[in-house]
Parts: sequence; structure tokens; C-alpha cells
Amino acid sequence: MYNDALMQFRAETVAWLEANCPQSQRQPIVRDQQIWGGRRRVFPSEEAQQWFEACRDKGYTAPEWPSEYGGGGLSSAQAKVLQQEMAKMRCRPPLYCQGLWMLGPALLVYGNEAQKREHLSAICRGEIRWAQGYSEPSAGSDLANLKTKAEDCGDHFLVNGTKIWTTKADEADWIFCLVRTSDATPKQAGISFLLIDMETEGVSTSPIPLISGESEFCQTFFDNVKVPKANLVGELNGGWAVAKELLKHERKMMSAFEGMLEKPAMELLELAQHAVGVDDSGGLADAELRSDIARHLMRETAMAQLGERIYRQGKAKQSDPRLPLLMKYLGTCEAQTKDELILRALGDEGLSMDDPTVSLGLRKMVKQWAFNKSLTIAGGTSEVQLNIIAKRALGMPSAEGKS
Amino acid sequence: MILNEEQAMLKETVAQFFAEQAPVACLRQLGAGSPSVAHDPHLWAEMVALGLTGITVPEEFEGLNFGWLAVGAIAQEAGRRLVASPFLSSVVFAQNLLLNCGSRRQIETYLPRLTSGDQTGSVALDEGRFFNPHTTELSVVDGSLTGAKTRVLNGQSSDLLLCVARRDSGALGVALIPRDLAGVEVEAKRAMDLHGYANVSFNGINEAHIEWLEGDSVDEGITKAIDQATIVLAAEMIGSAREVLERTVEYLGEREQFDVKLGSFQALQHRCAQMFCELELAESAVSAALTGLDQNAANIGLLCSAAKALANDCFTLISSEAVQLHGGMGVTEEMDIGLFLKRSRVCNQLLGSSSYHRDRFARLNEF
Repeated sequence: MYNDALMQFRAETVAWLEANCPQSQRQPIVRDQQIWGGRRRVFPSEEAQQWFEACRDKGYTAPEWPSEYGGGGLSSAQAKVLQQEMAKMRCRPPLYCQGLWMLGPALLVYGNEAQKREHLSAICRGEIRWAQGYSEPSAGSDLANLKTKAEDCGDHFLVNGTKIWTTKADEADWIFCLVRTSDATPKQAGISFLLIDMETEGVSTSPIPLISGESEFCQTFFDNVKVPKANLVGELNGGWAVAKELLKHERKMMSAFEGMLEKPAMELLELAQHAVGVDDSGGLADAELRSDIARHLMRETAMAQLGERIYRQGKAKQSDPRLPLLMKYLGTCEAQTKDELILRALGDEGLSMDDPTVSLGLRKMVKQWAFNKSLTIAGGTSEVQLNIIAKRALGMPSAEGKS
Repeated sequence: MILNEEQAMLKETVAQFFAEQAPVACLRQLGAGSPSVAHDPHLWAEMVALGLTGITVPEEFEGLNFGWLAVGAIAQEAGRRLVASPFLSSVVFAQNLLLNCGSRRQIETYLPRLTSGDQTGSVALDEGRFFNPHTTELSVVDGSLTGAKTRVLNGQSSDLLLCVARRDSGALGVALIPRDLAGVEVEAKRAMDLHGYANVSFNGINEAHIEWLEGDSVDEGITKAIDQATIVLAAEMIGSAREVLERTVEYLGEREQFDVKLGSFQALQHRCAQMFCELELAESAVSAALTGLDQNAANIGLLCSAAKALANDCFTLISSEAVQLHGGMGVTEEMDIGLFLKRSRVCNQLLGSSSYHRDRFARLNEF
């Protein structure tokens, strides 16, 4: 019975996608064509806008969120079907947004009704673009060491301090922040979760130039910023729990990051065949590169198989809670391995990021190699991931006097 | 891997059986004896009684057809205890080569002898130093078979040899040859992992004494049986790797130096965490390959080669690290860790090294 309903849903989904997803939106996405929404939203083309609006009206920008908040109201099995069919048709993701991936899921758990009503639907509808304010210059992996202060001034908080690695904050409308509201110990117990409109007086943002020549990340400064009390999510000094909920989603996002980023114009294999040539038997001319690519493709496939295994375990109610802990570490390492292979295959054309005699597509691959060095740093460094795996998956002992 | 209720019960039973009846000490006992004995007949009789010999056989041949996921689960449990038995060589490899390549009459004649446990079979496939089935040279010339096979698993105690050789036409065939046939010379060997294998030479065997398997697609049947055995071996290796990682983490949680548990040092925690990642990644590839066998996947060759290469690499890493992290104890015979190390290196050479499988994977993917 259940399967019949799901099959019916699959048929309807295929028909809906066929009818609503324009041909131009059925190919791998490149970064400058992603739709991020927000007050200053722009659409790369009319068809991209059509596709976004069709998804928005159907609730498919956030398929699993309740429909009363603008989501699609799908069960996780239905959402999986939608995802599968979109992948088959190579439909582009209709909306990219930190609000979708991170804030929304946390608000669903910790937000009050008014906050859910105000923010969730604005996120799904691509009206407000969010940035994340967690790290600070002196609080990276040791996030609980954060110093940005929110002082209780009766009807509002007065916020002073700075947040760093605020992804695309220069284009965002609102920012969700962890702020210090008490000097209680442990440090985690004095942190609150605040939503801040970036148009408020005293908020300023400047981009940080990166080794890839881009500036995806910014630093945001708060200088006597007044934030209404209603923007506190969860309990006062209870922000750490909200942050942990959200970090779960960030790690999931980072491990899936590779799939969402633009695909290189040529796939690794095609590129290698083109660049290093093939021998008489059709094998790649560089034997070591050939073997390393085979190893990488095997591991990339095994990553997908691990994801599938976690999904199946969940469905059979036999989840092994240790397995999701591995995804971020493994996924980001393998993404970097791929970039290194691309750089090796590029040879002479991989020596520069801005040589105008090299095609834009290839130069982008070199930039991506440099940019993706951040994958194992952002969203919990690989070292922090390994700490977590050792402690929670393997139950290894804590060091004396450390928690 | 997600097992159904029957499969999960079987796995439980087998795990308990191996823990009680076949701890690593049994392997050491076997290893102290003559190389002409490749397995403990008493232990084998118990495995037969458990029904393990009919586990891959379809119902139409009165088998149990438990599914490859279950076969993989049993192999993992065997891997945990380093069990030496004809499970891989006879139940998985020989029986399935017969099923894949034999005519109905031949299957009905020979299979019951193997499933009843009265006899065991071994596949004689390898030649020379490395595994590479594409370079099979052993051939029938002028009506007689002369040449040698290497690394025939459990060959010294098998009754029936299934020998992969070229027929007059040059096509690959599978010859059924009783081990005690005149002209068959078996040199029993014991590898450093204490498991048994044999080098077998055929000295002018008259083709009249050879029965060739006569199924419809012998070539594909051989490839399929090799894939089946390779995937199950990979599953066994994952079981061994998991066991030796668990033993290592446990040891680090007990051993104290500088007044703290060794396992509290971050440098060691990170190495263990990385091993665990490699283990689960490889297990995912092996599970996918077992599922591929159950579903007759068209890309089984790719799934198989990825599974074996990842299993090789992960068991190599984990067994090496296990020795290092056990410190001085790791290099003593008092611990079993060294046996896992040796088993890993032997398994690497069986049914294809990582180089072989990466090359095959690339070839199948046309690069």
C-alpha cells in the first residue's frame, strides 16, 4: 500500500518536473548561475527565474519543511524520491541559501511560533538571504571562546564585537550569531543565539581576499548594534544547544558540498585523457596518474555507497550512529584528492589562475583547487572531526583534565 | 549491511560458533602440524552440520540460497577469528564455478558431493608469481595436459580440482580432475598466515581422463566465479580488519604510560579514527558488491575490483598500525596481532592485488 503511494508520487513528480523544469535548467550548475535569493536577488536568466518560482510555489525549495511555513511538506521517503528524480533529470537546485541548509532546520527545533512564521517562509521564498556569524578571530575550532558581547538593555540587546568567515555576508540580509550574554563557566553556558538584521545601524562587513583569488568569506563588525529581544532563539544563555543542532546540518552540508559546487567543465577523466593522452591499448599514458584516478573513483563511489548504507540503515531502523560522523572528514578529503588529480593532469595549464591564454574553464579548476583547501577547515576542521570520531565512535579515553 | 531476519540469525549463530569452536588458537594448532593438512576436519564437519556448505546453492539444486549478503556476513565472522576452512575455496569458489560453468547433469552429479561435505573442491587458477587470470597458459596439447598451477587454496586436502586451462581450440575451459589421479602432483604449502595452499603440476594427463565443464557460457562463468570468490574474500578481510582495529583500540584504552592511558593521546586517537574511516569506507564498497551479486548487477566487475582494492588497502593499513600501536607486544608471538598482519599480506596476493584491481577497474571504465 505504502509502496503504491510512493510509486504514484514518483510518477507525479516526474510529470511535474517534466512540465516545470526548462531544458536550460537541466544541466550541471556553474557558480555564477546559482540563485541565492535575498533582498537584492538577481536571476541569471528568465528560465532560471521560472524554475525557481515553480519550485518556490510548490514548496520544493525546502521539500521536507512543513507546508504552513512554505515548505513542501514531504515525508523523507518522498523527499528522497524527489531528489532522485531531480538528479536523474539533472535539474539544478532551485535555491542556494544558508537559511535553507542551516538556520531553518535549527529554527524548526528551537524557534518559537512567531520566529518560524517570520523567517522560515522568507527563507523558502528566497526573500531573505542569511549569513552565519559563529567564528571569531580568537574563536575558531575553540568556538566556545567567543567574545562578541550582547548586553541586556531592557527592551533590546546591545551587540559589540566581530565575526569572521561569515560566508558571503557582504551579500546577505540577516545574520544568525552566537553571542556572549554571560561570563558563566563553562564558557558554553554563557552563549546565546541571536538573529540580526544586517541593515541595522552599526553592522558593517568587509570581504577577505583568499588564496583562490576570490573572497567568499567576510569579516563582519558590530558596533553598538541594537537587537530586539524577540530575536533571541531558544533560552537566554542556551545558544550552545541551538548551535550544535545547526552544526549537524553544516557538517551534512559540507560533506555534500562537492555535489553542489559547480562541476568542472570537463570531468576529471575526460580532462586527463585530453591532457596526458592515451597509449596503444587505450589506457591513460601516465600510469601513475591512471592508478591514482582509479583509486579516487573507487573511493568516491564508496563514499556514495556509505551514504546509501546510512540511508538504508535508517529506513530499516538499524542505524549505526557512528557512520554519519565520518562523512564530513571522508567527503572533504576526497574532494581535495580530486582537485589534486585535476591539477596534476592540467600540467602547464595548471600553473596560473589568471593566464588569459588558458581557457576560463581550466582556470576555474585551478581556483577551485585553491578554494577547496577550505573544505577541511570550515565547518569543523578535519582534526576536530577526528577528535569526535575517536571519542564518540571509538570511545577512546579523554585526556586528563580535559572535557 | 542490512540482513533479513533469517540472515541475521545465521550470522549470530555462526559468530557464536566461531568464537567458541574456532578461536585463533585453533589456527595456531593447525599451523604447528604438517602442511599436508589445510584445515581441521572436526571443525569442518561442524560447519557442514550448520548448513554452511549449501548456502550459495539455488533451491533448484536443493540448496539454501541464503543470498550473498549472508555469505559475506559469514566470511566476516570467519575473518574475525582467522578461521582456516574450505568455506572460500570449496563452498564459494569451487561450487560456484561448477554452478556457473557446468551442464545440468554435471551440476547434479558433482554438486551434492560438495554440499554434503563428503568432498571438497578447489579451483586451480593461478599460474606463476602473481594473480592474473588473463594470462592463463596451461593448455591441452596433443590430447594431454602438462603444466603447473600455483596457490590452489586448500588444494592439498581437496578431492576435486577444478582446473582452468585452455582447450585444443585455445578457448578457456574448466577441467574436473580428481586430486588423486595419476599424473597429478600436489605440493602442499603453508603460507605465513598458517593457511594452506598447494602448487599442483599436471604431468601429461591424458584428456580421456579429464571431464570438461559443458555449460553454455564457460568464459563468463569463470569471470563470475572469480568475482564471487574475490568479493567474499574482501568481506572476510573486512572482518579481520575490524577485529584487529577493535583489539588495538581496546589495548590503547588499557595500557598506561606517563601515568595516562595511551588512548588519551590525540596523535593515537587520530590514527585510530582514520583507520575506522577507511574500514567503513571499504565495508561500504564490499556491501555494495555483495548486493550487486544478489541483484545480478551488470557492473559487478567494477564493484568487485573496487571492493577488493579497498579491502586490501584498508586491511594493510590497519594491520600495520595495529602492530605499531601495540608497541613491543605487537612483534611478539604472544599476541595474535602479527597473524593478522601476515594474513593481510597473504590476502593481498590472493585473487588480485590492489594494482591488479585498479588496472582492471580502469580498463572496465575504458581509461
